[in-house]
Amino acid sequence: SDWLSPPSVRNMALRELASLEKYLGLRKPNKYSTQGDKKTPVLQNNAAPPLLGLVTIACHLVKEAKRPELLGDSAESRAVVQQWLEYRVTKVDNCSKEDIKIILKDLNLYLQDRVFLAGNCFTVADVLMYYGLHPLIVDLTVQEKEQFTNVSRWFDHIQHHPGVRHHLPPVAVLRNRIYTSRHH
Amino acid sequence: MTKEGVQGATEEQQAQSKKALKKQQKEAEKAARKAEKQAMVASEQQGADEDDFAKDRYGVAAMVQSQQKLDRVLVRVQDLSPEKADQLIWLRARIHTSRAKGKQCFLVLRQQQFNVQALVAVGDRASKQMVKFAANITKESIVDVEAVVRKVEQKIESCSQQDVELHIERIFVISQAEARLPLQLEDAVRPDGEGEEEGRATVNQDTRLDNRVIDLRTTTSQAIFRLQSGVCQLFRDTLTSKGFVEIQTPKIISAASEGGANVFTVSYFKTSAYLAQSPQLYKQMCICADFDKVFCVGPVFRAEDSNTHRHLTEFVGLDIEMAFNYHYHEVIESITDTMVQIFKGLRDNFQTEIQAVNKQFPSEPFKFLEPTLRLEYTEGVAMLREAGVEMGDEDDLSTPNEKLLGRLVKEKYDTDFYVLDKYPLAVRPFYTMPDPNNPKYSNSYDMFMRGEEILSGAQRVHDPELLTQRAVHHQIDLEKIKSYIDSFRFGAPPHGGGGIGLERVCMLYLGLHNVRQTSMFPRDPKRLTP
Repeated sequence: SDWLSPPSVRNMALRELASLEKYLGLRKPNKYSTQGDKKTPVLQNNAAPPLLGLVTIACHLVKEAKRPELLGDSAESRAVVQQWLEYRVTKVDNCSKEDIKIILKDLNLYLQDRVFLAGNCFTVADVLMYYGLHPLIVDLTVQEKEQFTNVSRWFDHIQHHPGVRHHLPPVAVLRNRIYTSRHH
Repeated sequence: MTKEGVQGATEEQQAQSKKALKKQQKEAEKAARKAEKQAMVASEQQGADEDDFAKDRYGVAAMVQSQQKLDRVLVRVQDLSPEKADQLIWLRARIHTSRAKGKQCFLVLRQQQFNVQALVAVGDRASKQMVKFAANITKESIVDVEAVVRKVEQKIESCSQQDVELHIERIFVISQAEARLPLQLEDAVRPDGEGEEEGRATVNQDTRLDNRVIDLRTTTSQAIFRLQSGVCQLFRDTLTSKGFVEIQTPKIISAASEGGANVFTVSYFKTSAYLAQSPQLYKQMCICADFDKVFCVGPVFRAEDSNTHRHLTEFVGLDIEMAFNYHYHEVIESITDTMVQIFKGLRDNFQTEIQAVNKQFPSEPFKFLEPTLRLEYTEGVAMLREAGVEMGDEDDLSTPNEKLLGRLVKEKYDTDFYVLDKYPLAVRPFYTMPDPNNPKYSNSYDMFMRGEEILSGAQRVHDPELLTQRAVHHQIDLEKIKSYIDSFRFGAPPHGGGGIGLERVCMLYLGLHNVRQTSMFPRDPKRLTP
């Protein structure tokens, strides 16, 4: 199973879930396996049938940690959180090089007047989108990070959110704009 | 057939004959018009032959073969101002544009970057035929014009001389241009992107360079190369006033000064020689020969097969070398002060040219500090790391990192010009003096304009023993550089210097994007003509 392979090639989703567990303060780490070609994470649940998929497991962990506010504190924000969790696994994961720019452009526009994905409160959508976008953001040049300035601001905010970053290296985000003119 | 049917048929017949009649009539009219027109043309021609009272006031002049010395004073277009109002003057200019409108023909006459509106109108000085002749002169032809300067009520926005226009009394073609130009000057000065919106043509760089003679006539090119001439003059004036001596060095040399990878080989009688990739050796020999402070302006050759926006295979090097007393920062200060004098001179005396270029290629004004900002290499690396760049202490700067550092420096210190000092010894040539405090670094520096390198320099090793040691370390064949090392055996003062690329300085000062724009006849791996 996936647990037997060395940590470097271990499924990213499993590392994410381990980090999420730590963030949520769950004492006893769960054991996961993967299923199928896409290595979908699977959580064996003692009392009930096994849970399948990153988003399903993440929501389960949030409930287990008794932090329901992380799934949204109103009907509307719960819907928004689910929408971004869906976006993460359908659009962000395994996106092509051309898609990256489209995703960042759309997200940049969306985050123009928001601190977090669900508005003013931090949710599990921010955590999973941060984990999912990390490999994209880490490759951006300073100029691109400035181009997608709202994404960068949000990303920097989340990576500094206590206990979120864990397995991921920090990404440098400049506070000042350095490409102010149209040229060079 | 029914009654109705018969009636219908006759109606049809009638209609047909009506149509035919109309057709006939039309044809007759047409013929009449044609005849009339022919008669008019004929009479006009007759008129042209017979009663053109202005016959002697226009035409194609005989080829100027220096038959006569005329006393005629040709006024310069830039001097046409309201003070000259109502004077009858002569001038020589090109036809920039012409537009005929009935009995009038408007011309824009251009001389270098200046232009003026001129008018030929039917009246007691010009005939119909003269106006027609003026309207038919091909664009870019050179004409001699006698005209009265007249003040205008409304400024002429499209011309450099906005307050006056010329009322032409005589016009002679001195040199006729071919009717079809390989590129239109208006297309060549259109700012990037502006043409696309209006569906107008722009000229790509290769077309410009293929037809450089015409491209150089644009206001932008005129301004660029006048400014470039200014850079050379300011460089010379500043250094001369600092006690420097201008030297001339050979460009055909027997051995490459920095290993042979990027030099051109030329056949030299029974052996081969190289084209100098810098006057390095000769500058240093002059220092050893007690010239104390020298500079040289001349071609420099690089056989690098790099096709980038900032590489040429031949460019003009502005080289400096000077002996100093105790510290090589004396050299840095001398060079940066020279650069600052150049920037100030351009800012104060070349505003017209800067603005002309800005019209086509907008950029922010060039900023610099006094005294010039000097950063150490380690500080630069620290700034880059803070911005997320991963690099080793002794790695050389990549071009993107160089540009990024320029941005960071601009943001922090608000300057487009700075010096990066104390480069890692490993990335510099063998003749670079090591740093006495940290042998991993060296007494060498680069200077940057808008984040791109324009000068590379260092304190040189003036001790033959250390020089030999460094050459061996770099695995250079000592036999090939024997004469170079021997120059330092008979007393050599401590010295340093650097070399600047003229084209790069102009490009970066003006905020342009391609060094070919500031090279009059650029040479690169793919271009050897014109």
